[in-house]
Amino acid sequence: MERYWEQSIFKYLRAEPEDHYFLLTEPPLNPPENRESTAEIFFESFNIPGLYIAVQAVLALAASWTSGKVTERTLTGTVIDSGDGVTHVIPVAEGYVIGSAIKHIPIAGRDITQFVLNLLRERGEMVNVPPEDHLRVAGKVKENYSYVCQDIVKEFRKYDVEPYKYFQRFEAEHSVTGRQYGIDVGYERFLAPEIFFNPEIYQSDFLTPLPEVVDEVIRQSPIDVRRGLYNNIVLSGGSTMFDHFGQRLKRDIKQIVDRRIQASETASGSAMRSSGLDVNVISHKRQRYAVWFGGSLLASLPDFYGACHTKAAYEEVGPSICRRYQIFGSAT
Amino acid sequence: MILLESHNTIIQTVLAEKFSKPSSLDEHFVDYDGVRFRLSTPERKTLLRLSMNIRCWDQLAQYGAQQILEREYGTYLLPEAEPEYSVTLEFDTEKVPAEGAARDALIKSAALLKRIALGAPFELAFKNALALESGGSPPNATELMQIHYRDEEAIFVQAASDRVTVVFSTVFREEADRIFGKVFLQEFVDARRQPSIQTAPQVLFTAKEPPLEIRSAAGLKNSDDIGYVTFVIFPRHYNKPDVQNSTISHIQLFRSYLHYHIKCSKAYMRSRMRHRVAEFQKVLNRAKTEVATTERKTASGRTLVTR
Amino acid sequence: MVRPYLDCNSHALRPYLAAVRSTLTAALTLENFASQVVERHNKPEVEAQSSREVLLNPLVISRNENERVLIEPSVNSVRLSIKIKQADEIERALCAKFMRFMMVRAENFIVLRRKPVPGYDISFLITNSHTETMLKHKIVDFIIQFMEDVDREISEMKLSLNARARVVAETYLTVFG
Repeated sequence: MERYWEQSIFKYLRAEPEDHYFLLTEPPLNPPENRESTAEIFFESFNIPGLYIAVQAVLALAASWTSGKVTERTLTGTVIDSGDGVTHVIPVAEGYVIGSAIKHIPIAGRDITQFVLNLLRERGEMVNVPPEDHLRVAGKVKENYSYVCQDIVKEFRKYDVEPYKYFQRFEAEHSVTGRQYGIDVGYERFLAPEIFFNPEIYQSDFLTPLPEVVDEVIRQSPIDVRRGLYNNIVLSGGSTMFDHFGQRLKRDIKQIVDRRIQASETASGSAMRSSGLDVNVISHKRQRYAVWFGGSLLASLPDFYGACHTKAAYEEVGPSICRRYQIFGSAT
Repeated sequence: MILLESHNTIIQTVLAEKFSKPSSLDEHFVDYDGVRFRLSTPERKTLLRLSMNIRCWDQLAQYGAQQILEREYGTYLLPEAEPEYSVTLEFDTEKVPAEGAARDALIKSAALLKRIALGAPFELAFKNALALESGGSPPNATELMQIHYRDEEAIFVQAASDRVTVVFSTVFREEADRIFGKVFLQEFVDARRQPSIQTAPQVLFTAKEPPLEIRSAAGLKNSDDIGYVTFVIFPRHYNKPDVQNSTISHIQLFRSYLHYHIKCSKAYMRSRMRHRVAEFQKVLNRAKTEVATTERKTASGRTLVTR
Repeated sequence: MVRPYLDCNSHALRPYLAAVRSTLTAALTLENFASQVVERHNKPEVEAQSSREVLLNPLVISRNENERVLIEPSVNSVRLSIKIKQADEIERALCAKFMRFMMVRAENFIVLRRKPVPGYDISFLITNSHTETMLKHKIVDFIIQFMEDVDREISEMKLSLNARARVVAETYLTVFG
């Protein structure tokens, strides 16, 4: 790990660590021991003047401040972070991660690619694609043609009525021989991201759709922040980049919530009326690198330096200083 | 892995990408010695601006950096730098050379911006030294040039008829760094004994006391944590243009190189210590006895659990 | 029980380590002993220094002026401080770093003191509760092993630092050649 840091600091960033403050990120539920040993290396080996270790989910929230829809800069919200291997749903309240409510979903980018590949194979499109390119082609199809539909049945009908309008042709070149080949991209376009919402179409191990997981996560969080969590659901990571992903998620969560409110209204004999609950899913342009972007956003705030652990403080307290959280905007 | 490169990787990759696929951007980043860069597209997507802020620009300009930049970049150099920056280059992505060797060369030279600017005093010194050697006497040829490239550290360059002397002053902020630095510098001095590198410049190292050449310079700090490294560069290192070029890019990075390796060895020591401490821990754990845990029960038959 | 020594270098060290081993083993006769001064206090007497009669005579085992061990026994605790061989500035810096590294992890090393006794590099504090939960001769083994390895580790680190410096300097200067 030290070598990796050496190389990235000196070869790529080309920065003298003595001159700069550092902002590092960590996954949620990172054991404090890791954080301590990181701090030790950075302060003692690299002599850095200050360090801030941020949780990735919080940075993803900060990144959403760039979206036009966000009016106030809050650090409360639910982060859906979906990368290649696994998808996390992380509730954050006032900059603190609610560790007990975090949930993981074993569906992410890699599964979508595999699913696209399976579909293409089933339709017999892959016969003229060289086998070593299969995964790459499936990945490209996923990235370039996929979107989230609002209703699968309708979408299927649409494709069947006017296949020429919706089927798209994907042309590629063999990476070694340079031979041209092409495939028709059809239902995969909207089916690929559908595995988030209907996991049963891909596998049978994990069957809870994403909106339900989100709802569950929020309901496990403390009651006083739930409204804020529903109100600010933030997407981060490459596998959330599909068109209309946010809208579909919002609609589905809203349905779940409304149904529950209605049920409790009926149960109370319709004597009480709920004022309703706002569900908001925020998608923005920087989703793919949301964590990095949020980090750079926070680091360029003037009070960043105040939130850092400085070298002097480190020498005084020792590595355990990093067990203490410092949140932006809060009294330190 | 061991040597540092003199070009900036970020400039190189970003320019290569943006030349082939223009899009708007605004990026700030840094290089060694407190150099700040900004890459931006202020007016339109295809007009890329690369600005650099370097601390000792006034001193560099005095030693002809402006002329050298003009020579290197020609029309890409803007006459007026962006506010807060020392130098600005502007590239119109519609007019840059087509993909191929010419474009790569342009990108490479842009990535070398800091190296070229900081190379000015060296180039001047080498020129003066060559002139002196051939009997000429250019004005101020033996003047001591000072470049305060960091807050507390400076490079001094002086030309003479048979050599150019370069003195680095460097500060070690921490006791351990100072000691490690001393070890490294001592090796620099000793390394010349090796037959294979006898031709390298002579290296002298003094801690605390500034060497004779720069005693006259004003504003020298006298403290324990400062060290002076003198390179005596002989004509064979600068009498051919390509050799001179590599000498300049190499010697500039000396300080970063030194500190890079001090940091690396500290990190290495740390991983050794971690390993050793883990071993000790194992030995100590062997001393622990298995504490006999008998299940304790209350009268009602429930088990007591210690938390 | 005498552990087999690991390398021939420690051969010269052997009498020194043997002396430390037997002294420490003798000193580790501890019992649970409540404070005589404050009721319901039970503190390591060697640290509390509250009453003279429960402290035993401290003794120093010294190999030379740079290497010595101070053993301060008392009725319920033993404090052992080590001064590690430091021949020059580099070894001093490395030793300081290494000891600091260990002491910030004092929690894991149950018997390690967070600060050394003045004049020494590192201190251990062994109390009666330690000897009750751990095997006494194994604790002694640990201390002896530590003394053995720490010297070797520091000199190895110094060698590797020098080797690295040489490679770095040569690589840098070769480019000029």
